[in-house]
Amino acid sequence: MSKELNISSLTVGYNNKPTLKNISILSDKNMMIGVFGRNGQGKSTLLKTISGLLPTISGQFNFNGIDILNISEKERAKLLSIVSTTKSSIGAIKVQDFVAFGRFPYTNWLGINKVKDYQEIDKAIKLCKLERFANRNYDELSDGEKQKVNIARAIAQNTPLIILDEPTVHLDLINTIEVFKLLRELVKTHSKTVIISTHQMEYALQICDQIWLINEGKVESLSPAEIISQEKLTELFDDDLISFDKNSQSFRLK
Amino acid sequence: MDTSISNKISLTILLLIVGVFILFGLDLFLGSVNIPFKSICSILIGETAEKETWKIIIFQSRLPKAIAAILCGSALSVCGLQMQTLFRNPLAGPYILGISSGAGLGVAIFIMGLSFLGISGSAVTLSANSGIIIASILGSFGVLTILLSVISRLKDIMTVLILGIMIGSVITAIIGIIQYFSNDAQLKSFIMWTMGNLSSVTNDQLNLLLPVVVIGLILSFISSKSLNAYLLGEAYAKSLGVNIKKSRILIIIITSILTGSITAYCGPIGFIGIVIPHLARMISNSSDHRILTPLSILLGINVLLISDIISQLPGLDQNLPINSITSLIGIPFIIWIILKNKKIANLN
Repeated sequence: MSKELNISSLTVGYNNKPTLKNISILSDKNMMIGVFGRNGQGKSTLLKTISGLLPTISGQFNFNGIDILNISEKERAKLLSIVSTTKSSIGAIKVQDFVAFGRFPYTNWLGINKVKDYQEIDKAIKLCKLERFANRNYDELSDGEKQKVNIARAIAQNTPLIILDEPTVHLDLINTIEVFKLLRELVKTHSKTVIISTHQMEYALQICDQIWLINEGKVESLSPAEIISQEKLTELFDDDLISFDKNSQSFRLK
Repeated sequence: MDTSISNKISLTILLLIVGVFILFGLDLFLGSVNIPFKSICSILIGETAEKETWKIIIFQSRLPKAIAAILCGSALSVCGLQMQTLFRNPLAGPYILGISSGAGLGVAIFIMGLSFLGISGSAVTLSANSGIIIASILGSFGVLTILLSVISRLKDIMTVLILGIMIGSVITAIIGIIQYFSNDAQLKSFIMWTMGNLSSVTNDQLNLLLPVVVIGLILSFISSKSLNAYLLGEAYAKSLGVNIKKSRILIIIITSILTGSITAYCGPIGFIGIVIPHLARMISNSSDHRILTPLSILLGINVLLISDIISQLPGLDQNLPINSITSLIGIPFIIWIILKNKKIANLN
């Protein structure tokens, strides 16, 4: 029972009304974990809770042996960063300065960046291939570019765990794949653990190491191969509209 | 969050500082009694004046008024900046959201309502200066707390503004009821307060106002870092390690102290709080509160000194109400902001 990522008897929901009850999941770190589920099943609620944005109803989330939901925001900010669909309505700010927000937990009361901070910012910008945008205004970017800037900010935060709630929702196919590839690289070469919820399941199945499947109030942790062989996705969309074809690994209209 | 302030911004700040000195001098110089500039200087450095009345005019009237203008301009501008960030609303400001009204309610209760509680009038007058300021701060704090508790459920900026107007109306109604039940003397002193302006600020009051405002301004500069994180939205701010509850309360306390103390002695002064932060953003092309806070302070001082100079142009025996001047300057500017930036109608 000594896995690095350990969710135990977690019950999540808004205003003490449970959406998902008694979730228990064990996972290894240094993995890319996809979170699947239909709208309204509790994907966001679960991710918000394990990010510490929403209070738990009961249960625990341990990462690397640290009870992550029972530490201060300040300590948590060095372990876990988030990316969501919420757009920032920030006015005039350069991309570089936006990414620099990631250094927030490490800087002094006035937020002065030191050499090390600038190195992390540069590294994040390079990883996300944003060099040519660095001096542009965040406001002027397209949705896809903005989301990459947001991910760069999370990377600059330099946390072992990154949680992304539907980061590709406003993006076109190419941007989506780029984001997936980038996250894959973070897991492979920078030893990060990435938890990402998405509706782009066909692509996520090819790129994730593990899938948390949320269906009818239950959360299962399975490998992509198990998801496919056990026809879990056809089960997920339990109606007559579509089914998941095992051989082509893609959805088919009925 | 680049720390190197560009040359353009440094130059602007320098020009604004020079502006403060020039306008401060002009504000002392202009008035219904013509005092030569040379005499003003010698009075200020403590030399004997040619006429004793000049000395009284400078020390009892013009100097406190000019200092009040400086405090007022800096405090209200910083309040506006903090509220616009905290409420994520470009049209937020102490006046429009009813926070000045809340301060007014505090003062009304202090001047007229305390007799209901069996506190005699003479006890009140003894501690009048500090009492009014505390009552006023508590009033602003009350309105801010109400606003903040409902604002997270309101996504639309216009709803927030309507809420502010409604709070203002409710408060006016309550003040009306308090007035109805109060005696002539209380009523008179409250009416005098509502007509208050920069020139009614006494030296005693300045002794209290100056440290309060300076502390408020220092605290707001210290909050720059968490205010910057607020720009990303609350969830992101939290994920970056900001203690939302704590920083929110701190910002509300700062805003209440600044708006409350200014309103207590100068009366409600409108639109400075909305306009100045926008002006600061336009000039600096930045969203960084470490730049916007000092810039708003300086711009606010300049604009309020100009307003005060306009209100006492030579040839006028009486001062025009400062609130009218700031409204006449401010409202066209706000309309221009709305027309120029149609996106302003959306919060997110």
